[in-house]
Amino acid sequence: MEEPKLVRRVPSESLKSPTAAESPSTTKRKSWLQWDLDSSEYDLLFLSTCFKLLLFPSYRSTDFEVHRNWLAITYSLPISKWYYDTTSEWTLDYPPFFAYFEKLLSIPASFIDPKIVDLNNLNYDAWSVVAYQRTTVILSELVLGAVLHRFIRGSIDPSTQRVISASLFLHPGFLIVDHIHFQYNGFMFGILLWSILMARNGNKLASGILFAVLLNFKHIYMYLAPAYFIYLLRSFCMSPAGKLEIKNFLSLANAVIAVFVISFGPFIVMGQIPQVLSRLFPFTRGLNHAYWAPNAWALVTAADRVLLRYVSRTGADVAINVSGVASTSRGLVGDTVFAVLPNIKPIHTFIITVAFQSIALIKLWFTPNYKSFLTALTLCGYASYLFGWHVHEKAILLVLVPLSLLAAERHAYFRTFVLASVAGIFSLFPLIFTPGESIVKVIYSALWILFVYVPLTRRVYEYPNSLSFVIIDKLEKIYLAGFAFLLLFITAFPTWAARRQGGTLIPDTCVSTADFTCPEPDPRPAGVAAMEFLPLMVTSVYCAVGLVWGFLRLLYVYLHEERAYQGPMSRI
Amino acid sequence: MEVLSALPPEGPRKSPQRRIRTVSVNSLRSAATTAHRPQNSFRQDSEYERPEILAPSPRQPLGFGRHLLQDSGRHWARSVSPSSSRAVSPNLPAERRFGLLSAQSLKFPDVDTPRRTSEREIELAMGRRWLRWMHKRGVKDWVVPSLVLASTCVKFSVGLGSYSGQGTSPMFGDYEAQRHWMELTIHLPIRRWYTYDLQYWGLDYPPLTAYVSWICGIVGHWLEPSWVALDQSRGIETEASKVFMRSTVVLLDAIVYVPALLLFTRSWHANRSKRTQNLALLALLFQPALLMIDFGHFQYNSVMLGLTLLAINFFAQGRDLVGAVFFVLSLGFKQMALYYAPAIGGYLLARCINLGWTAGGKLFLRLAFVTVLSFLVLFIPFLPPFAPLSAVLDPISRIFPFGRGLFEDKVANFWCASNVVFKWKNWLSSPLLIKLSAALTALGFLPNVLVLLRVAWQTQLPAGRSKTPLNNTLLPLLPYALLTSSMSFFLFSFQVHEKTILLPLLPVTLLLSGAPIDSTVYGWGVLANNIAVFSMWPLLRRDGLGVQYLALMVIWNRFLGYNPLRLPSKSFIQLLSIAVYLAAIVWHILEFVIQPPARYPDLFPVLNVLISTPVFALVWLWSIKSGVEVSWAVGGLTPTRTSRALSIDEDDERRKAKPPVTVGAPPARKRIPFSDVVLE
Repeated sequence: MEEPKLVRRVPSESLKSPTAAESPSTTKRKSWLQWDLDSSEYDLLFLSTCFKLLLFPSYRSTDFEVHRNWLAITYSLPISKWYYDTTSEWTLDYPPFFAYFEKLLSIPASFIDPKIVDLNNLNYDAWSVVAYQRTTVILSELVLGAVLHRFIRGSIDPSTQRVISASLFLHPGFLIVDHIHFQYNGFMFGILLWSILMARNGNKLASGILFAVLLNFKHIYMYLAPAYFIYLLRSFCMSPAGKLEIKNFLSLANAVIAVFVISFGPFIVMGQIPQVLSRLFPFTRGLNHAYWAPNAWALVTAADRVLLRYVSRTGADVAINVSGVASTSRGLVGDTVFAVLPNIKPIHTFIITVAFQSIALIKLWFTPNYKSFLTALTLCGYASYLFGWHVHEKAILLVLVPLSLLAAERHAYFRTFVLASVAGIFSLFPLIFTPGESIVKVIYSALWILFVYVPLTRRVYEYPNSLSFVIIDKLEKIYLAGFAFLLLFITAFPTWAARRQGGTLIPDTCVSTADFTCPEPDPRPAGVAAMEFLPLMVTSVYCAVGLVWGFLRLLYVYLHEERAYQGPMSRI
Repeated sequence: MEVLSALPPEGPRKSPQRRIRTVSVNSLRSAATTAHRPQNSFRQDSEYERPEILAPSPRQPLGFGRHLLQDSGRHWARSVSPSSSRAVSPNLPAERRFGLLSAQSLKFPDVDTPRRTSEREIELAMGRRWLRWMHKRGVKDWVVPSLVLASTCVKFSVGLGSYSGQGTSPMFGDYEAQRHWMELTIHLPIRRWYTYDLQYWGLDYPPLTAYVSWICGIVGHWLEPSWVALDQSRGIETEASKVFMRSTVVLLDAIVYVPALLLFTRSWHANRSKRTQNLALLALLFQPALLMIDFGHFQYNSVMLGLTLLAINFFAQGRDLVGAVFFVLSLGFKQMALYYAPAIGGYLLARCINLGWTAGGKLFLRLAFVTVLSFLVLFIPFLPPFAPLSAVLDPISRIFPFGRGLFEDKVANFWCASNVVFKWKNWLSSPLLIKLSAALTALGFLPNVLVLLRVAWQTQLPAGRSKTPLNNTLLPLLPYALLTSSMSFFLFSFQVHEKTILLPLLPVTLLLSGAPIDSTVYGWGVLANNIAVFSMWPLLRRDGLGVQYLALMVIWNRFLGYNPLRLPSKSFIQLLSIAVYLAAIVWHILEFVIQPPARYPDLFPVLNVLISTPVFALVWLWSIKSGVEVSWAVGGLTPTRTSRALSIDEDDERRKAKPPVTVGAPPARKRIPFSDVVLE
């Protein structure tokens, strides 16, 4: 049954370059020189780059100014002051590698326009700085493109991997968060995927080193660290029989420590570690972000709001937390305090997260292969996203990116991928609230789903073989269709509410960014203020339902993996 | 699963060498004979039993055997499967399909070569590659919706940029003019539309624009009254009002222009394959010049162009009266459509001649009646009994301003270019110049109008056969006539704007849309488009649309797979293209690097004009030449009325080398698609 697999079409470029068949290392070196891209890959590169160019003048969040300020800090201050500077409110709060990266970027910037790197030139938004910073995002994202391209090359099923790679390179998440909102996620996910690629190719030491590098670019990737730890420990530092491989262990440990020393070394020498850490981990935030990231806590918070309504209407005899009542009407940042339900503390979220992660990690411990690692990695990020303290909606990319690699494995994975992607991308929509950009993000995401869904769904189609399969399938389809109505609702609702109130159009809510809290809204009648947040709440809750279900689904699939039909990736 | 051992132990990293071996035809055969006998026999039978081939085969069966069918590179070359046929659209008559089929099997005599050949042949253009992928992956039903969606997305993305006159108080630009018209039409009675405060962007477009502005204004007023408040809203630049204005353009474009393009590809390219039709749609939808001017700079040209295009589509279906009404609407939207008037008028007159005295005379009377009636309807609020007769003079005098100069800005036309050496204004008086420009323009468009009339005379139908709309010999001439006429207006007429190049660009792009990648038409079409955008660069730079310029140009050329080096080697068009592109690139570099000397502040715009004008003039000459050639092809060289001989032009030599595409299908020649005759 398998034999015809060998007759797969060869990527055309290997036909053209028969010399590229030496050892893997020479192949790689050659291809870096030769731009081992075929024409369809060039097409994607052109297409995405041109489209991103069109987004240059689009809306920018405060993250744009944050990064500009970091360019200025790293350029004009000595390294000893980087983590102390408070000229702008957007202080440097990424790990040192990212600071070095900004330093690198600031050098050409100073040639292009010295005002970009002027520390006191706050909120500078001339065309030069916009074009420069947007260009650096596009260029740094080429790391992602290169890695995804290498994913295709060694893949078991290149034509499917090509779809998946293209889907990641053109992911609406990156478009929204990087190219409109402004961040450098594409670049950093490129490093993450590089590390995963190394794991796939069996080079686990490189995988570990790259992940350590990534952690020193942005510490949010710690969400994924447990899976890396278990995987590398079990499959690299221990023999299959369970014996410790001292040599491997030491080399990995030394390499990782070396990476951290390179990163934090200067600050260790200067004795600034406590200051750096206090910048990296500010433990002063609430359970939910301003716009509730659609995770389990969004559901709990929403349940609390509903219960409060119920209690205040029926007058049931329940103890009501008064500060919680105030918290509901504000809807914005600050500590989320529940009115009816018991309050959540960081330690609770931590315990729940670790509990869910450990389920996946135990399974990973016993099946330390690539596919299992990939699933566990996804589940780790997923659990952190769903149950973590003060999670940002942008963190959903930590789930979607590794999950995409599993998409074509088989129907169960694919369906999880579709659910999580649709819900996750939709949950990113509130980041972009300006009307012009909103149209672009919706159409782009719709096209992306179309081009990813239709080809892959044919590949992984499974005939429904049980009643539960049919029911779940139908329910999920209904859920997915609901997004169209949700979109209609959140588009029409503000206009409708404004007309009903008889006032002018209320501008969409301000959405906080990494380090930015919105100002309190004008004191309006309570009804209006509550109405204003309704679309956000509905979005958050609806997406949360899908994401939580996707998590449970993936967990179930992972734990029952051996019983099911195995997809192509199990061979790795 | 047990065949896992057949793979090398490190599956994913197996060397390319190994994979080269696995793809060889022998291994394919052996694999197929051992494991997939049904498919193998399917392949072998395919040469003898055609009906079986045409039966739909499952594209993606479940399980591991699927890739054999997926390997459609070889598959399609050998047989015509519904999902992978390139040149065959299923609604063609059967004999044509088989004609194509035999042509295909002539092309690919053995099994090994087709993949390479086909790849070279089909996949030169990104658009083709994409279409091929869509068909292979079973997404082909989504091709048109996704194209339209994608173009809408691009239009809105272009709209994120700045527009003409943004932040330039007190007069602003075209954007403010259009917004101002919405404001004045909803607040003032119709009689005052063409007279209100003429100094501040007085309405100077024909009534249909005014009516459309009125509707847009009402919607805008319903959404947010401050966007269109009378006088109060002048120069309003809020984010929301900008999005509203941009949306009106995209919406009108989607209502008029996009359906017109779709109809065009389906009616004019009716006997081409679906893929070619969709490729044509792709080329037309993403035409950079129009995207930039309408959605970046801000105008509603696509409505006017779309109405003209609809008129042409109706002509192609033989519904001349409806077409005439649409052309009047186009004129009534923007008077620039007059550039097309000689061609359209010539075509309709030729139709009348072609039909003979009685039928033609009847058609002529009907056309005259319908045209006059639609003009009257358009102007009805300015005519008795709704207004005194003198009222109609207000719009007329606003629409045709002869008070302005010969040319305004630096325009890549004859007057502006020759002005460098010969200062027209110093030598000739203004009325004389007007007469001169009118005479030159008429000289410019006459050749193709005459050609139309001559062909109509030559191929005049015998009485009684006048009711066969498909037998329209004039149709292939129409795009060339449109191009010649609009280009001669652009080059020679009075008061031309650089944006008016959009009018000649429409027929150019229509012609190019179905042309093969190495044909002359394709070369001229893309060259004209690219240089047109280049000629608008000073305007676009002023509007702050530099990034959009780069992005749209690159992606459109990539879609088409354009590469001047791939044009017929050492042909005139290839040499010209290379020279012009070199000049344009050098110009861009110089303009970026060097500050123009104080003595010549307009140095770079003038140089731009000097690069662009010759190209446009050559396009105009080429269009005349091609029109004449097509007329030979259609009407014959000799004046015998029944001659249907096809001329052999220069490109036919190359066509002989390849097997002719339309083997065994002489009936299909009856209606000659314009891109088939001269262009292949």
